[in-house]
Amino acid sequence: MLEIKDLHASVGGRKVLDGINLSVPAGEVHAIMGPNGSGKSTLSYVLAGRPGYEVTGGSVQFRGVDLLALAPEERAQAGVFLGFQYPVEIPGVNNVYLLKAALNAARKHRGLPEVDAFEFLQLVRAKMKLMQMDEAFLSRGVNEGFSGGEKKRNEILQMLVLEPALALLDETDSGLDIDALKVVANGVNTLRAPDRSIVLVTHYQRLLDHIRPDRVHVLARGRILRSGGPELALELEARGYDWLLAEAAA
Amino acid sequence: MSTNAAPALPSTRDENWRYAPLRGIERLQWTPPDALTAEAIESARAVLGDLAPATGTRWTFIDGHFAAALSNGPAPQIGTRAGTGAGTDAAADASDSGADLAFARLNRRHAGAPVTLHIPADTTLDLEVACVALSVGHPAFVIEVGRGAKLQLVERHLGAANALSNLGLQLRLAPGARVEHSRLLQPAAGARHFETLQLRLDAGAELHLVQLTTGGAATRSTALVELAGADATLRWHAAMLGAGQQAHDAYVRVTHDAPGARTEQAYRGIAADRSRLAFNGHMRVTSRARGANSDQTLRSLLAGPAAEANARPQLEIDTDDVRASHGATVGKLDADMLFYLLSRGIAPDAAESLLKWAFVSDVLAKLPDAALRARFEAAIAPLLPGAEAARSLA
Ligand SMILES: Nc1ncnc2c1ncn2[C@@H]1O[C@H](COP(=O)(O)OP(=O)(O)O)[C@@H](O)[C@H]1O
Ligand SMILES: [Mg+2]
Repeated sequence: MLEIKDLHASVGGRKVLDGINLSVPAGEVHAIMGPNGSGKSTLSYVLAGRPGYEVTGGSVQFRGVDLLALAPEERAQAGVFLGFQYPVEIPGVNNVYLLKAALNAARKHRGLPEVDAFEFLQLVRAKMKLMQMDEAFLSRGVNEGFSGGEKKRNEILQMLVLEPALALLDETDSGLDIDALKVVANGVNTLRAPDRSIVLVTHYQRLLDHIRPDRVHVLARGRILRSGGPELALELEARGYDWLLAEAAA
Repeated sequence: MSTNAAPALPSTRDENWRYAPLRGIERLQWTPPDALTAEAIESARAVLGDLAPATGTRWTFIDGHFAAALSNGPAPQIGTRAGTGAGTDAAADASDSGADLAFARLNRRHAGAPVTLHIPADTTLDLEVACVALSVGHPAFVIEVGRGAKLQLVERHLGAANALSNLGLQLRLAPGARVEHSRLLQPAAGARHFETLQLRLDAGAELHLVQLTTGGAATRSTALVELAGADATLRWHAAMLGAGQQAHDAYVRVTHDAPGARTEQAYRGIAADRSRLAFNGHMRVTSRARGANSDQTLRSLLAGPAAEANARPQLEIDTDDVRASHGATVGKLDADMLFYLLSRGIAPDAAESLLKWAFVSDVLAKLPDAALRARFEAAIAPLLPGAEAARSLA
């Protein structure tokens, strides 16, 4: 699904990614953990094609296609979804309109006709129910006046409607209380499928109690320092990151 | 003032006219055609396109002449200014520096008798006025809304390429009158539109005005508003969309001259391509206006590499007992918002259009009903491609 090879990238003239190697096969859930400022969001943005995040070396293949050669909207249409760490508020752009426009853009890419209005509403209602979101959110501006937790739920709602092949969820769990965390985790779990991959960027083991990853990677100082199974997350929870950084420095 | 001498035209050296698109006006031909021809009616019919079924009275004017064939309901009265009570011209002129009423004088010189409309106390009128400019026109209106009366007024200014129009509108609201005033200024390619609005609100009157300006070569809107009675309320929502080499300029002066006078003003301007937009919101609060309230937000969006946008709040306050807030910003489309939309698969042009719809929706949302909003949106839809379905949702 996703093959990242020796990826280097800079932001604002500063080198942040320093040779990332990561392979995420179809059907797997991978967690990326790491200290603040280690480059996790940068990696997410680079994969989504955010302007200002300059790739200075390496390659990224997504389903055999050179992902870095695609424009941001093409990446989304091809099935890459980024759940933002800080979803932006867009007052005046209607939430349900965005959902529909996004879905239709993806359908168009696949050669499908625009979604039927009735079916669309049925679909959105079902997903909102799953996310325990009130339908009133549909008619509001995108994330406008949403609480932190509501914004995160809205990200997952978008993901559920779009059904991407690759979901990159950047700290979707931070700022959630335990009930909201369960709702979000449940939403993510419903999306697990053999032809889909999920990359969870997280600080906390607690999300991984609800979404069991196939692999866990530690990203620090712009590199993957270690990869392992779910037990690595538990070890990090117990010991922190310093020992890994020390080992890497040695 | 001699009736024969041509009134002096303002220049950009005059106060309040600095950004006005006045270049070449001294060479313009201001004399309107004497009468309406059958061809003109057919041309105007084509300009108007499909006339939506009129729910109320609809009047069409072509180069200032009433066109009965394109109108519905009772015909307008063509009256004299005397006795309308809407303020004598001499008094209005005397209180002003001159330049601000220059186009009003030009209008009076060429318009002949204005349309006079009196809405009796406690009655309701739904009126749509279309002013079609084909060559040169000076539409002139003097409207009095009686005590407690309600007027829903839709004004559209449109026309043929390269036409010239110069509107003069006087509107007076008697105590407790209420007016929903929706204005669409949409001159055709190369056309110019000038206008002078003189508005006066008596005690407890309320005027909600929404104005959308787009198209043409140049527009200048001068509005002089007197909040003359206690607790008069004005809501002024204006949007301008400039494209190509268009220049749009508005000067709105609101004089709060009685206790409790209130104004809420919002302006949103999007300058694309090489267009130039200017909005000057001048708020005056006299010593009589104790407890007045004035709230202004003026925002411009630069959406073209060579576009210019200027929005200026101007406060002139002669009492301590006032609440006034104002803000003016000029910016570009928000890069974070744009990327968010792109990351959802929305194409760049559609994403930009969406954000522009959102930007002007603060103004368009104030239109009194959805059908009217759809018609106003249709006027700007061609400028915002790829996001048509977002209209009215924003
Ligand atoms: N726009 C930017 N300009 C300059 N430096 C940036 C920018 N964005 C991120 N950085 C820097 O890049 C590093 C990695 O940031 P980030 O990817 O957000 O880390 P994480 O998500 O792992 O906390 C940090 O040192 C951060 O300060
Ligand atoms: Mg981060």
